[in-house]
Amino acid sequence: MKLLIVPGVLALRPEYASIEDPVAELRKAVAEATDWLGDGRLVTANGSAMRTEKAPGHFDARAETFDAALGAALRAGDLAALRRLDTVLAEELWADVAALVAIAGELSEVTSVEVDYDDDPYGVQYWVVRWECS
Amino acid sequence: MTLKLGRQSFSDEATLMMAIVNRTPDSFYDKGATWAEDKAFDRVAQVVDEGAEIVDIGGIKAAPGVFIDAAEEKERVVSFVARVREKYPDLVISVDTWRAEVGRAVCEAGADVLNDAWGGADPELVDVAAAFDAAIICTHTGGVTPRTRPYRIEYDDVVASAIADTTAYAERALAAGVARESIVIDPAHDFGKNTFHSLELTRRLDEMVATGWPVLVSLSNKDFVGETLDLPVGERLTGTLAATAISALAGARIYRVHEVVETRQVVDMVNTIAGRRLPQRAIRGLQ
Repeated sequence: MKLLIVPGVLALRPEYASIEDPVAELRKAVAEATDWLGDGRLVTANGSAMRTEKAPGHFDARAETFDAALGAALRAGDLAALRRLDTVLAEELWADVAALVAIAGELSEVTSVEVDYDDDPYGVQYWVVRWECS
Repeated sequence: MTLKLGRQSFSDEATLMMAIVNRTPDSFYDKGATWAEDKAFDRVAQVVDEGAEIVDIGGIKAAPGVFIDAAEEKERVVSFVARVREKYPDLVISVDTWRAEVGRAVCEAGADVLNDAWGGADPELVDVAAAFDAAIICTHTGGVTPRTRPYRIEYDDVVASAIADTTAYAERALAAGVARESIVIDPAHDFGKNTFHSLELTRRLDEMVATGWPVLVSLSNKDFVGETLDLPVGERLTGTLAATAISALAGARIYRVHEVVETRQVVDMVNTIAGRRLPQRAIRGLQ
């Protein structure tokens, strides 16, 4: 099964379009990955929103460590790590992980991983990750 | 309506800054600051840098003053137009003139637009525009003689008069062979009008826009702003921008201005509020 993880960024929606796209690279990665996905499963998730002083949730020193662990789990297709994710801390850091934790509980194995995007342009950690899984 | 101004075309939603460049020693606002040709050329460079799509080059101040014949007017503007054209091949060059003779000479030198601020005083100007595939600005003056001040002029309905005269002028231009997308109308604030007339034209500008002809407004630092706020030339920018905002909301397409940057910001802000333009770059709350 194909599974695609993308951040639920409102700026990607057409009703919030600007003349200069503030998320052009992310949009490109999402569009390409969505083409690949076909009728696979789409999961919205992102890391913390507290990575910098100007981040939506302001700076929290715990954000970087949390995101590093989450990113490592996504890159490794580590379902066990995702199931163990600290959802209380995730909520405190404004990380959107609920769907990710839920899907990790349903899956048995990730057989291939492709990371298309890994950045935090506005103090929010985004990933675009393709999984082949069962 | 899509606008074709000589060598350039602009989409339906585009608003355009037409920067005033005077080749005069006595215009009311700059008082001869760009009378020296190199100063005028520097002014062109400045307004292009500020994002103006059009320069409007004028060789005669609008107000009464020393008589300038066609030969002297050409002396002031023709070679300058050629110089600007050579340096800026894509810039839209407008020339503020009512004389067909001058219009022909500047079109030969590379002008794209004939800005007839005096409402068709020379009936052959439209033929020149047609011959050179240039655009024409059709203004309303209430029929006054060029370079005269309004004196006890009254209208039954100044907006109706402006619409009737400018659209009749536009139709005349069309009949003469000027392309439909190259015809613009201008209510001409302060020209043949007192302050109350110019205020009413601003308030009811949507009626001119509703004619379907693209509308140009020339508001910059004019007396109707000065009289409304009791402010001299040099202190009228805020009032000008307020009138600009109202005109933008009504749907004006071209803004003839001294201050390009400030006007562009106001027009873009208003058109974005009106839902006709996207924000330049919005991410707040959308990350």
